[in-house]
Amino acid sequence: MNSLFFHTLLLVYLGASILHILFLTTGNRRIAKFAYWLTIGGFVLHSAFILLRWQHVGHLMAHWYDSTSFLAWAIILIYLCIARLTHLRTIGVFVVPAAFIATLVAYTLQTHENTAIPTYLQNYWLIAHSSAIFLAYAAFIAAFGFGLMYLIEEKKIREKQHTLIFNLLPALGRSDEIGHKCILVGVILMTIGILIGALWTQYVKEIKWSWVDSKVIFTIATWLIYVLQLSIRQILGWRGRKTAYSAIVGFAAVLFTYVGVNLFLPSMHAF
Amino acid sequence: MNQIVTVGTSHHVAPLDFREQLSFSESQLTDALQLLTEHPEVREAVILSTCNRVETYAVTRSEDGCDVLSDFLSNYHQIESQQLDKFTYSHQNLDAVHHLFNVTASLDSMVVGEPQILGQVKEAYAQSLAAGATGDVLNRLFAKAISVGKRVRTETNIAAGAVSISYAAVELAKKIFQSLEDKTVAIIGAGEMSELTAQHLVKNNVSKVIVANRTYQRAVDIAKKFNGIPLAYDADLSFLVEADIVISSTDAPHYLIDRPALAEIMRQRKHRYMFLIDIAVPRDIDPEVSKVDNAFLYNIDDLETVVASNLKDRGQEAEIAMQIVKEEVAKFHSRLQILEVNPIIKALHQQFQGVASKELGTCLDKAQLTPKQQKMVEAMTQSIIKKLLHQPTAHLRQIALNPDLIGTVNDANDDHAQHVHALYEIFGLEQAEDPDTENTD
Repeated sequence: MNSLFFHTLLLVYLGASILHILFLTTGNRRIAKFAYWLTIGGFVLHSAFILLRWQHVGHLMAHWYDSTSFLAWAIILIYLCIARLTHLRTIGVFVVPAAFIATLVAYTLQTHENTAIPTYLQNYWLIAHSSAIFLAYAAFIAAFGFGLMYLIEEKKIREKQHTLIFNLLPALGRSDEIGHKCILVGVILMTIGILIGALWTQYVKEIKWSWVDSKVIFTIATWLIYVLQLSIRQILGWRGRKTAYSAIVGFAAVLFTYVGVNLFLPSMHAF
Repeated sequence: MNQIVTVGTSHHVAPLDFREQLSFSESQLTDALQLLTEHPEVREAVILSTCNRVETYAVTRSEDGCDVLSDFLSNYHQIESQQLDKFTYSHQNLDAVHHLFNVTASLDSMVVGEPQILGQVKEAYAQSLAAGATGDVLNRLFAKAISVGKRVRTETNIAAGAVSISYAAVELAKKIFQSLEDKTVAIIGAGEMSELTAQHLVKNNVSKVIVANRTYQRAVDIAKKFNGIPLAYDADLSFLVEADIVISSTDAPHYLIDRPALAEIMRQRKHRYMFLIDIAVPRDIDPEVSKVDNAFLYNIDDLETVVASNLKDRGQEAEIAMQIVKEEVAKFHSRLQILEVNPIIKALHQQFQGVASKELGTCLDKAQLTPKQQKMVEAMTQSIIKKLLHQPTAHLRQIALNPDLIGTVNDANDDHAQHVHALYEIFGLEQAEDPDTENTD
C-alpha cells in the first residue's frame, strides 16, 4: 500500500509539473487551472501520506527519506501559500518540478533506508528543528524560482522579445518583491530552526553542541548569505538582477548544505 | 422548417457612413425588435449594433428569412434595397452560426482579439431577451456564442500583446513595475506620441506627471492636459531622480541622457527601476544607457517592432481560434438537430402520460389501496412509460444526428422528415404546425 501510494504521488507531481510547463509553452489558461488543482490534489495526497507514515513509523523525520519527502511537501505548501496570497501561479512552473524531483529522490532513498536516526533523537525537538529548516529551504527554493523568472523576464525585456513567455511571466517588480519576501520568510524560519537546534543540545545530554560540525558550519554560511543579501538590499537598494543572482547563489548553498555535506563531509546530522 | 438567418454589415464590407445609416440607437432597439418579431415569418430576433457592425439575427419560419431581414432593414432605415444589398452580407443556418461565433471570438473584428465585441454581443442579447424577442433557438445560440468567445480568449492568446505603440509602452511599463499607481512619469520635450503615451499612463493611475521643456510656457501648456507639474530644464536632469518612466521627444541634435549621467541618477534613486522611452528622432537617449542595471530603454523602432510582432502572433493565435470555432459550430449543429426532434419526443411522452394517468385514475378509484400501495402502482406506471419510450427517444435523437442511418435510397433529410411524420401518424399524435407553438404563444 505504501508504495502504491507513493507511485500515485509521483505520478501526480509529474503530471502537475508537465502541465505547468505546458502552460508556459502554450499559454492555455485551462491547462494552468488544471495544473494548479492537480498540485492541490498532490498536496492533499502527500499530507495524508506523511501522516500515515508518521503513524506507521512512529516519527515524522526518522529517515533521510522522510526528510526529503517532507521537503517536497514543504515546497508545495509554500507554492500554494504564494498562489493563494498573490494569485500568481506561474511560479509553479519552477517549484512544482522541484517538488517532483525531491519526491523522486525520496523514492530512490526508500529502498535503502539505512540512514535511520537513533531512536533517542526521535522526539519533538527533532520535528521542530527540522521542519523549520526544511520550510526555510522550501522558501529559498521559491525565491530561487522568482530569481529565475526575474532573469528570464529581464532578458526578454532587454532583448525586446515580446514572446509568449514575456506575456506570461510576472512583472519584474513583482518577481523581485515576492522573491524578496520569500527570502525574508526563509531567513526567519531558518533562524528559528537553528535556535531550536542549539537549544536542543542544551537540554538533551546525548548530543553535544559542536561548532565544527560541517552541517552546522554550512547552515550558518547559508544563513549568512541570505542575511547579507537582505542587509545590502536594505542599505544600498539592491534589487532586480542582483537579488536574483543572490537567490541563485543562496539556492546553491542550500543544495550543498542539504545534500553535499552529507555526501562529502562527516557530520553528526543524518540529514 | 426553422431557419437561423443573419443579415448585417461591418467595417469589412461597408464604409462608415453606411454603417451609421444602418445603426440602431439604444432607444430604437426595443421598438425595432418588436417591429421585427411582429412579422409573421419571424419567430425570434436579436439586433447587434456597434460602431463597427450592425447585424440582425433571426429565426424565421420560411426558407427566405434573409429577405425578410433585408426588407426590414431597408424599410426601417429607408434605404434602397440595391444599396443595402451592396453593403450587407447574409448567412443562413450553419453559416449564420459560424459567423456569430466568429464575431464573438473577435475573429471578425478590425483588430483581431479586441476585447469589446464579446461585451457588446452580451449586451445586445440581453436587450433582446428583455424585449421578449428571443426564444429557444436564439437563447441557445447566443449563450453558446458567448461561451465560444470566452473559450477562445482563455484557450488562445488572441488578446495578448498591445497592438498600438502607446499601448505597447504602457504594457511594457506594467511588465516592469506591475502597478503604475505610485509611479512618476517625466515627459521631456513635446509631441503627439509622447502625449498620447502619457495619457494612457495617466489612465493607468500614474500618480505624478512632470512635464519638462526648454521653454517654461510650453511646459505649462502641456502640463495642463495631465494635471502635471511644469518644469523648465536646462542641462540639469536632476528631476529624473524621482521619475520612474521617462518619455523623451525633444528635437535636440545630440544625446540628452548618456550612460554616466543615468548611472549617477540611478544611484541617487537607489536603483529603483526606470523605464525610458525615446521617441525622438534623432535619439535623445544614448543606447548605452540600457546597460545600466535596472534601467530599461526602448526607442520608437523597438516599440514598432513589438507592435508588429504582436500583430503577427495574434494572426497565429487566430488560426487556433478558427479551429475552436469550427469545432463549436459542429457541436452546435448536433444540438440543433436534436432540438428539431424535441417536439415529437415531447408529444409522445405527453400522449403516454395522458393515457397512463387516465387509466391509473380509474384503477385507483376501484381498487382500494393503502397510500403506500398507491405510490407503488404510480411508480410502476412511470417506470413502464420510461422504459417503453426509452428506445424510441434514443432512436429519434440518433437519427436526428445521422439522417443517413435510416438508409433508404432518397435524400437523407427527406427520409428523416418522412420518418418523423410516420411516427406522428402511427401514434395519432397531433402535429403542431409550429413545433414550439406553446413556447411563443
